Amino acid sequence: MTIEIKKESAALVVKVTGRMDAVTAPEYEKKVNELIAEGETNVVVDFEQLEYISSAGLRALLATAKRIKGKSGNILLANIKGGVKEVFDISGFGTIFPMHDSVASALSALVG
Amino acid sequence: MIKIEHLSKRFGNLEVLKDVTVEIKTGEVISIIGPSGTGKSTFLRCINLLDRPSGGSIRIDGVDILDPKSDVPKVRQKMNMVFQSFNLFFHLSVMDNLTIGPIKLLGMSKQDAEHKSMDLLKLVGLAEKADSYPDELSGGQKQRVAIARCMAMDPKIILFDEPTSALDPTMVSEVLSVIRRLAKDGMTMAIVTHEMDFARDVSNRVFYMDEGIIYEEGTPEQIFDNPQKEKTKTFINRIRSFCYHITSPDYDLYAMNAEIETFCEKQILPVKTRQNLILLVEEMLQICNPLLSTILLDIALAYSEKKEILEVVFEYTGEAVNLLDKNLLPDELGLTIIQSVTESIDYSRLDNKNRLTMILKRV
Repeated sequence: MTIEIKKESAALVVKVTGRMDAVTAPEYEKKVNELIAEGETNVVVDFEQLEYISSAGLRALLATAKRIKGKSGNILLANIKGGVKEVFDISGFGTIFPMHDSVASALSALVG
Repeated sequence: MIKIEHLSKRFGNLEVLKDVTVEIKTGEVISIIGPSGTGKSTFLRCINLLDRPSGGSIRIDGVDILDPKSDVPKVRQKMNMVFQSFNLFFHLSVMDNLTIGPIKLLGMSKQDAEHKSMDLLKLVGLAEKADSYPDELSGGQKQRVAIARCMAMDPKIILFDEPTSALDPTMVSEVLSVIRRLAKDGMTMAIVTHEMDFARDVSNRVFYMDEGIIYEEGTPEQIFDNPQKEKTKTFINRIRSFCYHITSPDYDLYAMNAEIETFCEKQILPVKTRQNLILLVEEMLQICNPLLSTILLDIALAYSEKKEILEVVFEYTGEAVNLLDKNLLPDELGLTIIQSVTESIDYSRLDNKNRLTMILKRV
């Protein structure tokens, strides 16, 4: 998995590429926790290039979401599709996280 | 022809063959099947003394080849072996690969040896490759040359050690058809193989090896259609199978995934099935993870083409416990995902091991 971070005015966009599994999910969690510790309160995770997610990835997302909520922040997910979306739907995570069709839509939701 | 009694073989503390007693008669074609690591290849290697047995006796036409007084090279000339990796002499032409044995060991004249070799090359369909070198041949052609080379020594029996395992799927049939032809001509053969349709088709008898013994033997119909013993049944049900052993929490997820992908490709399974399978296995491993330093976990995949069923079996040591018992799980996330990609999940306890058998949903 690779993680790219881009600063937008409304939030930090974290683009994840590849696989979010038992091996890589801790990397994601560590990185996003660092960003939260640095004071970021709004994060959009872009799943456009994510090919695979397992419960390990979902748990990492949940852990970071809880942490950001504790700081009155928001974590929004964008571009969830295909097999990754199925895992969200199966697990019920689709209803836990606000999901957006695009990063732009997630960003405007934060502004709006 | 070959009478083997109480054959055993140890490598240090590892007892690979425990007590093999069996007889192979002239003209029989024996297929030796069974899971990896159960001593099939060692059994063949012991028969022609590539590995020295630790105990027991092997009589070939009445001569005990383990008797220090017996003329082993002479007895050994009665049998020859075809290996998974061909073992051709790469610096010799195809013709020279075939003639070197008869000239040097049987004292045959070059002319006679070449004449005979050409007949054998015709038999395996490679007469036109007589002057080629092994590097110029495909895997299937190399193995056919190896079979012809075996025949050049006029063996009474040929031992085949997984002759098609190193071949591309496209080349398997050309090698199997040569072996079928030898069977038709009455050649005595013992064949370790994972090609079950071939084993069923070509053999007079099938040996199922497990736990270092010939666990069950019978006609192909008995072994493949009506196996009597538990492990044979399990194996036959998992004929198109793959097995991965996990012995520590530091297992390599990606190496395992790559092997699962390869298995799925061989079975020509849809991409979605592969994805669901990899997800299922990872979820199960996550659930097992806290225990992986204390238990051994085997993951077996078996695809039945006829039934179009992909079965996934997780077999683990330790006390009797169903790791998917809701009451034992910290949360149901992994279980929910596993349930969503499977048609059925069954827990059983067998041979002091726990077994979770799952059937993947069709996509």
